Amino acid sequence: MVKIDKTEFGFIGYFNAMASPCECLIETENYQTALAITQIAADEAWRIEKKYSRYLKNNVCAQINQSNGAAIAIDQETFKLLDFANTCYEISNGLFDLTSGVLRRVWHFNQNTELPSQKSVEELLPLIGWNLVSFDQKSVCLAPGTEIDFGGIGKEYAVDVAVQKIKEYKPDLSVVVNFGGDLRVTKKPKNKPKWNIGIDSLLISKIEHSVSIGVGAVCTSGDTEKFILSNERRYSHILNPKTGWPAEGCPKTVTIIADQCLQAGVLATLGMLMGAEAEAFLTQQNVQFHCQR
Amino acid sequence: MQLVKQKNKTVAGAIAAAALSLLGNSAKADGEFWDFSRDWKFNSGILYYGEQDRVSALEGVFSATHEKDLDDKFNFKIVIDSLTGASPSGAVVQPGVQTFTRPSGKGQYTVNAEEIPLDDTFRDTRVQVNSQWTSPIWDESIVSYGVHLSKEYDYLSTAVNGNIAWNFNQKNTTFSLGLSLAKDSFDPEGGVPIPFSSMVIDMGQFANPTEFETAFDLTRGTTSEDKETLDILMGITQIINRKTVMQFNYSYSDVSGYLNDPFKVVSRVDQDGIALEHLYESRPDKRVKQSFYWQAKHYLTGSVADISYRYMTDDWEIDSHTIDYKHYLTLDNNQYLEPQIRWYQQSAAEFYQPYLLEQSIIPENISADTRLGEFSALTIGLKYGWRTDSGNDMAIRLSYYEQSMKDSLSSHPGVLNDLQIYPDLKAFFIQYTYDF
Amino acid sequence: MIKIIPAQINCSIILKVLMILCTLLASGCSNLGVKPWERDLLAKPEMALTSSPIEAGLDEHIYFSKEATSGGRSFAGGGCGCN
Repeated sequence: MVKIDKTEFGFIGYFNAMASPCECLIETENYQTALAITQIAADEAWRIEKKYSRYLKNNVCAQINQSNGAAIAIDQETFKLLDFANTCYEISNGLFDLTSGVLRRVWHFNQNTELPSQKSVEELLPLIGWNLVSFDQKSVCLAPGTEIDFGGIGKEYAVDVAVQKIKEYKPDLSVVVNFGGDLRVTKKPKNKPKWNIGIDSLLISKIEHSVSIGVGAVCTSGDTEKFILSNERRYSHILNPKTGWPAEGCPKTVTIIADQCLQAGVLATLGMLMGAEAEAFLTQQNVQFHCQR
Repeated sequence: MQLVKQKNKTVAGAIAAAALSLLGNSAKADGEFWDFSRDWKFNSGILYYGEQDRVSALEGVFSATHEKDLDDKFNFKIVIDSLTGASPSGAVVQPGVQTFTRPSGKGQYTVNAEEIPLDDTFRDTRVQVNSQWTSPIWDESIVSYGVHLSKEYDYLSTAVNGNIAWNFNQKNTTFSLGLSLAKDSFDPEGGVPIPFSSMVIDMGQFANPTEFETAFDLTRGTTSEDKETLDILMGITQIINRKTVMQFNYSYSDVSGYLNDPFKVVSRVDQDGIALEHLYESRPDKRVKQSFYWQAKHYLTGSVADISYRYMTDDWEIDSHTIDYKHYLTLDNNQYLEPQIRWYQQSAAEFYQPYLLEQSIIPENISADTRLGEFSALTIGLKYGWRTDSGNDMAIRLSYYEQSMKDSLSSHPGVLNDLQIYPDLKAFFIQYTYDF
Repeated sequence: MIKIIPAQINCSIILKVLMILCTLLASGCSNLGVKPWERDLLAKPEMALTSSPIEAGLDEHIYFSKEATSGGRSFAGGGCGCN
């Protein structure tokens, strides 16, 4: 299910994963290598999707969320992901919280939907809170009714893991791993100074202008299409777990360029939640960023 | 809202550190990396075909493909098949026992009363080899060329083919043009019968075998014959949307040379329906066919629908329609089920006759080969496929094929009215394929 | 010696069909199609126009030896003595 095309810089491999178009831009003359690299990226994306997608039954995510207060055994990878989410929760003072997924029951971001009532949002707040999750190396236990949504980090994690495996396989090649607009470059390209993402890639980008990147990761939070417009105010789909509402005055999208995709992804989410203060916050973080307003 | 700043670290820095610890320095990843021995892909299959009381065949195929770069491939294929059993000789059914001479002239066979004559001359093994090279050429085009060779004890076929395909519209449209030239030669045991000559049957009228041989040789002309085929194939493949692709092909085929089936005869019958003699058939020495083929594949959730239609028309006045439908149903664990149905209909060749009336003038061409007659056919099949533990694909398929001939004559002379003139064809076939 | 292009080929039919195909190509086909990353479903083996060439070849041989029509999807020449 991966398709390869020849390009002037090498090859592009395409596939679909995590409900997004995905691609690998590969700087190589060798077709077999390009096929192998795309397959590695696709296999990682599909593996992680199968394990942590909230749309599938009987996978790790479903087992955890249907446990109803019981402890669920977890493997090392799941433990490390929970540990990472925990660190982000603490660093962000509770803004980054994987238990906020239940809010999707009342927030629907199709065209022309209405805002949820304050009451319906407030009813969900007691189920949200990372403090309701306790875990150790072997197991995780959620308060009944609480759910973990890996969607906030799943794609970024998949990009970073794919990049890691590709670097182990072909350490000398420059490859862009791009899952639906969240991307990372393995190594600086040889035949040109930078990858020109808006031009080399044919994926529709969430951001309006193209990004030039030598090495590093680019992640965008927010959406130019997924939002609710009510009373001339724009409500983004990035929700604050403490209030259940999006931040006031937040940008349309926040794009971060950082070393890893996970880092860029979490920062982009935090940027959105800073609302009107997004630019001020991100400037303090010493990362390259762009806010679309 | 203030965020906690770790000592001397920004939030960004802390997250980066946490990410590094998540990703870690993974040990050698589990699962294999690309195995370059997968450069070669192999496909193999075996098919057993059996007709009720008649022919049965066993055919095996082995194909190897090496793709060294995108669209740059080499394929080698070998096919071996073996046929046994009897097929209709074209002679008409009779109320009494009949005797016929074998095509080689050596020996005879008898046919029971009221049975359609079947010639059970042993057919033997055939071996075929093909090679095909494909490579990109210019921008957005692919060229392919190949050779074909097939040998049976009395038949040799050789062919070359070439084809160019152009891609347009970001590979959404492909236009292809192909040409194939074939030369077949036929060397039947006993020699090539002279068309319209009468089959010599030894019913005791010859004093000795030599006299029979002399008479038999008079019905034989050349020892071998050949025919040449030119095929042109033009097609467009078009991606319609994310779930649908279609293809439309036009082909033109011109075959000339020896087109008769030297083993087939036509019976000449009197007004009571009794056979007086059996004449070796005669077909034109040229045939021009055109066909129009359309196919569409559509992805549905969990299944794929595949439908195709082909219309063929030729200068022997045969028209045919073929509709083929397959439904691929995905099951769990890389298994699938694929029911198939095919409906086929053809009109008779202008010179097809099940028998020749005594008082009729002998036409320029005549054949009683039911494959040139008017009939419809139905195939139903079911295929089941699965993936082995080592990641290779296997499938088995069981199908049933039936032909029903149409009798376009309103009545038959004498005894033939009460007998079954047109043979039934009922066959099943079972196929096993293994891709690795 | 193979006669390369027999004189009796009806060239006008071939040219007419070629023209129709080219018109189809030029007009209708440019609006149809998908972006490269939308070829995921089409890339599945079961979506290939001939998803099992071995099976197609075996069937083609059976029908060539039992019926008067051959080809359509590919070259019509039979290449064996069975018809």
